[in-house]
Amino acid sequence: MGSRRHPNRSLLLFCLPALVVYALFKLFPAGAGLVYALTDWNGLNRDYDFVGLRNFAEIFHDRYYWDSVLFTCKYTAVMVVVSNVLALGLAVAIESRRRAKGFFRTVFYMPNMISMVIGGYMWMFIFTKVLYYLADNYGMKFLDRSWIGDPRYSFIAICVVAAWGAVGYLMIIYMAALQGVPRELKEAAAIDGAGGWISFWKIVLPMIRHAVTICVFWALNAGFQVFDVIYALTGGGPGRATQSVAINIYEEAFRGNIRYGYATAKSTVLFIIVLVITMLQLYLTGRKEQEL
Amino acid sequence: MKKLLSMVLVVCVLVSLAVIPAAAAGEELAGTGASKGEARKAELNIMMSFPQYMDQWETYCKQFEEKMLEEENIQVTVNLEMPSSDQYESILQARLSGDDAPDLFTLHANNIGTYNKAGYLYDLTEQPLADVIYENVRDTVSVDGALLAVPIESQAWGVLYNKEIFAQCGLEAPETLADLEAICATLEEQGYTPFMLAFQEQWVPQLMTGLTLGDIVSGKLTDWLERMYADQGSYDEVREIFDVIDLIMTHGTDRAMEEGSEAGAADFALGKAAMFVQGTWASNTIMTTNPDMQLGVFALPINDDPGCTLVNLSTSTTLAVYPESEELDLALKFANYVLDENDSSELFQACSFNPLATVHDYEAFSWVADASAYVADGRAYQDLVLPSSVTDEQGRLLQEYYVGSVTVDEIVERLDKAFQDANALS
Repeated sequence: MGSRRHPNRSLLLFCLPALVVYALFKLFPAGAGLVYALTDWNGLNRDYDFVGLRNFAEIFHDRYYWDSVLFTCKYTAVMVVVSNVLALGLAVAIESRRRAKGFFRTVFYMPNMISMVIGGYMWMFIFTKVLYYLADNYGMKFLDRSWIGDPRYSFIAICVVAAWGAVGYLMIIYMAALQGVPRELKEAAAIDGAGGWISFWKIVLPMIRHAVTICVFWALNAGFQVFDVIYALTGGGPGRATQSVAINIYEEAFRGNIRYGYATAKSTVLFIIVLVITMLQLYLTGRKEQEL
Repeated sequence: MKKLLSMVLVVCVLVSLAVIPAAAAGEELAGTGASKGEARKAELNIMMSFPQYMDQWETYCKQFEEKMLEEENIQVTVNLEMPSSDQYESILQARLSGDDAPDLFTLHANNIGTYNKAGYLYDLTEQPLADVIYENVRDTVSVDGALLAVPIESQAWGVLYNKEIFAQCGLEAPETLADLEAICATLEEQGYTPFMLAFQEQWVPQLMTGLTLGDIVSGKLTDWLERMYADQGSYDEVREIFDVIDLIMTHGTDRAMEEGSEAGAADFALGKAAMFVQGTWASNTIMTTNPDMQLGVFALPINDDPGCTLVNLSTSTTLAVYPESEELDLALKFANYVLDENDSSELFQACSFNPLATVHDYEAFSWVADASAYVADGRAYQDLVLPSSVTDEQGRLLQEYYVGSVTVDEIVERLDKAFQDANALS
């Protein structure tokens, strides 16, 4: 009876257990992090002082931080395009097969089941041993590059490994969406004389726009938080040339001067950047979806 | 028939369920039966940063448990944790600040000051172990005369070299930079690569600054470090160190950025290069890769003054006692047991650590003997304690210097800034 009058109350009750866990382990640490961002805590001492917004003011002059933000943006831009194009391509290719769909789906999804740190070390072996072996013994001289040491090539190396890990996951989402495209629409288009290419652009892609939104959103998010691949491959080096924001924050908090408060301020800034970008992206793609 | 079968099965299950706990209880009884009276139960949590020595330390902890049961009638359970060394420090920090501190934990000797300031180290000066540690080693783990940790890995180190290649080319350990240049020339004439370069991990190139700065500061600029801490010095004064760093980088193996420290040690062991700027801690990998390797150590010369050609005497891993440990007494007993008269030698030898206390009576390896000879001649210096952010920055900058993205001028400027930043924070 009560629930009839207050339908929200029973809904809330059902959500409560999950909400409590979420609040305790996600929201509270995030909020507490904001408090630490205003202190000079070094992650070790028992006491610390409040320094107001001094940490945030310092970030504006921190060249290494902004370099790492720039690097992360570059990485994210490349990864959003590369991983989505590859994943969609794979999904379409596998969906158009009559046989062995399950086999290919499993094969391409496999890297997703390995932790990226382990994947990173595997690729490290390829980049530092296998490619040089090919270059030295089979005359493939174009492989004789400094894959870890030269920032230009290590960026490629990082993108290759990250795409290898991410494509499988996005591919599954695209495949599910592709299966939801009504066959009769495609047939009608074919009867009207649309070829495969036109049918893909005019029928399939608009029908799976929601999946594109999800995948781009996911890739954006993952891109801004990238840590493990870079950590395993180059460690952010040489110097700081391939340092992502997450690695910059990690080093600030746990290495060198162990400035926990300052590192938390940095991650707050990262949070705001990611928030603005994803809101913008959701707004833009949401508008397109509604047009349908 | 079916009924009978299932009855038999049920009986079997019941019997086995009844027997297992009884057997377990029997064992327990047998275990404690030998000791007099009821043994007190206690737990000791120990966290260490070298998983590569897990077996040796587990055995040692077992010995400690037995010793305690026998001598003190305490049934200790030692919980030994060994997180990987990359993550060790962040885990330790989280546990200390989260009131979940282990009773004993390892830390790098350079961090003793910071941890002491935060109140996480028990003063061990009055413990019996303080009397057995060699004096020059004790200095590396003391602050203002107070012994704050048990040294575990302590080493005299410089440049590792392949004695066999040196003998073939008729070469001897260098005394001056000119000697080292001549050695490089001879080695190259004979078809050898002089230096092994493995710069993938930042701490390896950093060893070059570790050695050269130590040489220069102990040899001639004795007040440099003090002035750096007072914001009155500059890396410009020690620019000379790049003479030998350039020499090493130009006469080294290719693809240094693609070579990790372990791979570098293995390649060095297989004769890919004749010298390797690396500490004696790499000897384990080297000797496993090539058990016939004739490994030697010499001090890295930085100029033409042999007085600056010194080995580095430093302590890396140490073991500290948490002052608010619930089992403080037991924790102290363990700390003392690490340098135990009867058992310590075996442990240190099994881990191939260097002898650092009077209780260590085993024969050192040839490379340890080489380095110790320098120490005995007074040609050693105490490892410089730089702010760890500066040490990290040196590693990064040397990587960049190797790939050519910074000049010496920029390095000087950035290191000065890193030092001043660290000063401002402490």
